Amino acid sequence: MIKFHPSEQHLVLYTAGELSPAMLMMVGTHVDMCSHCQAHVRDIEQQLARKLLGDVEPQPLARNAALDEQAMLQAIFNSQPTPQTAAVAANDSLYLEGNHFKLPATLARNSHRIGDWSRLPGKLWRAPVTVGGEEMLNFIYMAENASLPEHTHKGNEATLVVNGVFNDENNEYRDGDFVLLDNHHKHSPATQNEDCLTLAALEGPLHFTSGLSRLLNPFSSLFFK
Amino acid sequence: MPPAQPDNAEHAAELLAKVASEQSRAAFSELFRYFAPRLQAYATRQFGNEQTAMDLVQETMSNVWHKAHLFKPDRGSAATWIFTIARNIRFDFLRKNKYRQYDLSADDLWPVLAETNDSLDDDYALDDDLLMQQLSVFCEQLPAAQRTVIELIYIEGKSQQEVADALQIPLGTVKSRTRLALQKLKELIKHDD
Repeated sequence: MIKFHPSEQHLVLYTAGELSPAMLMMVGTHVDMCSHCQAHVRDIEQQLARKLLGDVEPQPLARNAALDEQAMLQAIFNSQPTPQTAAVAANDSLYLEGNHFKLPATLARNSHRIGDWSRLPGKLWRAPVTVGGEEMLNFIYMAENASLPEHTHKGNEATLVVNGVFNDENNEYRDGDFVLLDNHHKHSPATQNEDCLTLAALEGPLHFTSGLSRLLNPFSSLFFK
Repeated sequence: MPPAQPDNAEHAAELLAKVASEQSRAAFSELFRYFAPRLQAYATRQFGNEQTAMDLVQETMSNVWHKAHLFKPDRGSAATWIFTIARNIRFDFLRKNKYRQYDLSADDLWPVLAETNDSLDDDYALDDDLLMQQLSVFCEQLPAAQRTVIELIYIEGKSQQEVADALQIPLGTVKSRTRLALQKLKELIKHDD
């Protein structure tokens, strides 16, 4: 059962295509995994469609503008269907450290964007997902009994559990859970008996706050290569 | 005076069905006269540029014309489907820039016009997985020869002829093994309930 969902605002902006590429991937992947949010997105689509294309008369602007109906209709009837853009075949399998993960549809369609895995200190692995935009999108894989040093964020951090379970001081997060933390939150994510594959979007570099891990601040650049 | 306008959801869906099944220009023109000015108003607000707005209208409505067969009335209204097409085109217009080839495209996110629509079929896929898991338990109880045939046909999606070719056995044998295996599976499932 998914406990943590994107906000309604996230879902609206996702449906309108108005989030950053990284956040579109995050919310899209959550929606793949969450039937509740799927239904919600369908509602939002309907509402936006009604608002934009509903039975209100179009603004006078549209009538003044040069919409030559006949010419455009002819152009459409004479046009050729656009060939399917040579879509890279979706690949929903991800192999890492001898584990096989099944990727949700949004990630499977974008599997060609997943870069190489690199090992980080503390039983962590990271792979960038190149989607463009300002925000970084990464897979973070935590093996069993792994932990990230306590840190805050200069910007917002969104984390989505793709498979497995991790804890922080406040909660336990499982498959499909979507967590958004701003720069007021300190947290130290950790796994216990189970490993955890997450997708994380960061707006700013991680900023480590506790003890020795402060010395690890340069380590945060690993997330931003 | 037409009795129904395309703002009537049922009527719009019927028009789309006619476009899909018989390439009806009359049905499409009716949809066009309703949706094009509304799309234009939306696009003009979005882009503040009349030409770009017209491009969005034309591209959206071209897709409606060519891809009407992809509209699924049980998934939402015609207006909703057309909105999602326009949303995708707008998204790609905004990001279009040759030098940013790694950027996400709308199709990567919302495969509205994909011939097979992964994301929409997801909930079924999940059930399929469960079903396949259960079935595979039953399949293990089949004689090896029958199991091979069932796996090739139902898991790998081969035709009976392809299976015959692959195993170098007569087509008749494939058919009888399939029939026997399905009978046996039926019994096993019934028995399990």
